Amino acid sequence: MFPDLRRDVVFPIAGSVILFTLVVASGLVYQSQFGGVGERLITMALIDAIIVLGMQVFIGNTGILSFGHIGFGAIAGYAFAVSAISPVEKMKRIPDAPFGLTDVNVDPLLAVLIALAATLVVALVVGLGLARSGAESGAVSATVITLALLFVTHEVARNWPAVTGGDRAGLSFRIGGTLNGRVAIYVALFLAILVARLYAQSRGGRLAVAAREDDLAARAMGVNPLVQQMVALLISVAIVSVGASLRVYEKGSILPGDFFFNLTLVTLVMLIVGGRRSVSGALLGVAVITAGRELARRLGQDGFEMFGVGLDGAPLDWIFRENLKTVFLGVSMLGFMIWRPSGLLDDWELDEWLHAKFRRSRESPPASPQVVEPDDSASLVASGVDVAFGGFQALTGVGIEAARSEVVGIIGPNGAGKTTLLNVITGLVESDSGRISLGDTDLTTAPSFKIARSGLVRTFQNLRLFASLTVRENVEVSYLVAASHRRHRSPCDVDGLIAAAGLWAHRDRRARELDYGTSRRLELARAAATAPAFLLLDEPTSGMSDSESLQMIEQVRQMAGLVGAGVVVIDHDLNFIIGICDRIYCLDCGQVIAHGTPEEIQADPVVQAAYIGSTAEG
Amino acid sequence: MTELLQNLIDGLGRGSIYALLALGVAVVFGVMHLLNFAHGELITVSGYATFWAMAAGWSWYLTVPLIVVVSVATSLAIERVAFSRVRGADDFTLLLTSFGVHFVVSAIFLLYVSASVKTFPRPGWVTNTYALGSLRVEVFDTVVIGVTVVTLLATTLLLQRTMFGLALRAAAADFDTARLMGVRSNSVIRGAFALSGLLAGIASVFWLMRAGSISPSAGINPMLKGVLAALVGGLGSLRGAVLGGLALGLAEVLLRSRLPDSVASLTEGVVFLLIALLFIFRPQGIVTVTHAERV
Repeated sequence: MFPDLRRDVVFPIAGSVILFTLVVASGLVYQSQFGGVGERLITMALIDAIIVLGMQVFIGNTGILSFGHIGFGAIAGYAFAVSAISPVEKMKRIPDAPFGLTDVNVDPLLAVLIALAATLVVALVVGLGLARSGAESGAVSATVITLALLFVTHEVARNWPAVTGGDRAGLSFRIGGTLNGRVAIYVALFLAILVARLYAQSRGGRLAVAAREDDLAARAMGVNPLVQQMVALLISVAIVSVGASLRVYEKGSILPGDFFFNLTLVTLVMLIVGGRRSVSGALLGVAVITAGRELARRLGQDGFEMFGVGLDGAPLDWIFRENLKTVFLGVSMLGFMIWRPSGLLDDWELDEWLHAKFRRSRESPPASPQVVEPDDSASLVASGVDVAFGGFQALTGVGIEAARSEVVGIIGPNGAGKTTLLNVITGLVESDSGRISLGDTDLTTAPSFKIARSGLVRTFQNLRLFASLTVRENVEVSYLVAASHRRHRSPCDVDGLIAAAGLWAHRDRRARELDYGTSRRLELARAAATAPAFLLLDEPTSGMSDSESLQMIEQVRQMAGLVGAGVVVIDHDLNFIIGICDRIYCLDCGQVIAHGTPEEIQADPVVQAAYIGSTAEG
Repeated sequence: MTELLQNLIDGLGRGSIYALLALGVAVVFGVMHLLNFAHGELITVSGYATFWAMAAGWSWYLTVPLIVVVSVATSLAIERVAFSRVRGADDFTLLLTSFGVHFVVSAIFLLYVSASVKTFPRPGWVTNTYALGSLRVEVFDTVVIGVTVVTLLATTLLLQRTMFGLALRAAAADFDTARLMGVRSNSVIRGAFALSGLLAGIASVFWLMRAGSISPSAGINPMLKGVLAALVGGLGSLRGAVLGGLALGLAEVLLRSRLPDSVASLTEGVVFLLIALLFIFRPQGIVTVTHAERV
């Protein structure tokens, strides 16, 4: 669940307590200055904070923009109101509600649970739709579906008066409703902070973030993004439902307009201004936007008089007008998107910062882990692979075999089909015919994340690291996948692997800050950490100098040895290939034209003509 | 049968406006990968221009060109002020930028005009109908369909026969390669926004003639229709956008007339639901656009 108990559980709990205390304290200070008006403002801000935290769980971790969370809020709000309002009050507004809803009479706490359950059911259905559309056409259409959800709930709320009380009257508690004191809000807020932080550090959160950073690479490491996005959605919607129920209870009533565009705008602005990828950021955003909005409202009302300065006919009258706060929200959103799209805090997290400060000094690199002996039981076999892109025949009847104990190279001129073959083996490109298997397992039609879980893990020609994660976190993603999907293998020692890859000094740096050679080593280590049966390397030395490529030979041998994996490697660099491989296949024009030991390949006249001759290398 | 034909004509009339809006959304999406949630604001701005022009005693004959000019100018201005600064940003930033523009524009009218709905006279012939066999056809629908057909033909010619059209299609297919081949990104993006503004301007004329009113939040509905239609048609496909718009219009009219009275008021909700279902079963929209990523 959590890779590092101290970092992922202890510190987040402590951090949540501190964040919660800070939020509550600043609220209390504010209201002590402004009295009754301030008190109500803070109460609503605390509830907003719960909703924003809920949104953060999904939007922040998956990177998918959702307009629909307030729609989920509407469902929860109505479910809560319909359950919790006394039958006497309901007789006035919705006497003819179906399913005997008018007579339902439950305790508010139970009503929250009902709201939660109802909303989760809807979220499950919506989530399936999101997953399907997102998988096919990316995050943009997922976003539009969430927008459609917001409008559907609004339309239903307006036009189903038998349950919702309609557009004008709505539902209301009248007497006996509304929260007494803030205890419930405080409890819910603390839990929301805690759940949001723990989720982000948990296996699910980390895999969701990996998919956010690079969907394709995450799949190739064995992550199924759809499952992780669904989990994030459900947790996120659960938090939002609680916040929405509290909001209805605090207000004492609900109207369709309460959970629509305005609240969507307010909560989204809070989230992005603070920093959507951080729980601390979400809370900061709530504070900043609440304060800014209140300031804008008062400036709009009274101009500078609110500071006790009477500037008659002040030059700023043209801007201090009644609806200034709405402009403030729109401008904040636009301004942050243009100049600071990642928000004030980006992904800075209080407890991570504290953890880095108070780290116990285990600064010496750990010893290299034990070498795992590869068992030669399962070999990788691709046979008769045909692939055509439109009219272009990329591969024709290609077959290769590799055993766990060997390093197999695939060479060939540009456009020979080397990367396509690797893409077919790892499930990124569908073959027209042919068969891929690992031991007894047929992987021909398996999706790429299942192929990775079966033990075929690749690297990419154009580097696909999880850019904003640290080196250690990159490797941990693979470790987490291996821990649950490759249980028959002993889990790798993350620190040991990082040290062995020569990354120990960089372990806390973000992947995007690394130089090219280090990035390549990290990609190799990340692939190795999945404890694969085979490492499939796509041009691991591309862009490297001769001496670097020679070092890469050692790197690849070492990493493969540490996890007991066979290696299939594509490269242009003949010195590298000949130096590392036990056997070589030579591809040209989508066909295997030769295969054999490095010596045989070097001596083969067909290869010389097709490859060495045509590229004038070697 | 008669009723179905009647629905078909009504639906095409409505769908034509959606098609123009969706095409504008698709053109911009093509060059910038930006799903423009601010598209409806072109109608808001030109709606207020209409209101002021009418208040100053302009006739519709003068106002129609004004609407188109204002729409194009607004589209270009929004590109200059906001979208040019986020070119190449990730989807998240692009989506929220356009959402931000949407809110800023409507908030400005909220601030300087008022939240209340402003009305202006509709042209007299909007509600006129004529008989076509056993059908009653609105003059308005006839005009809308006619103008839309002409506009679409002209747009097709523009895209197929001019250098600008070629550049735009090339940029939509692969922006980076198009740039390497000498397509100037600035001019093709601005051209796309101008075209998008022009199409929205024509849609806007009809939208405003029928509505006869404007308010700060009036842009939400047309924006939603345009964006959904573009998406239903298959994002990135211009032909798909037009088909999506027509399909959306037809679906609305058919549902409204066929649904039992008790749920007829939920038409919009049902349409959204159908769209969501479409996405579950055919996520790529009506017309498939393939985006292969090189790995």
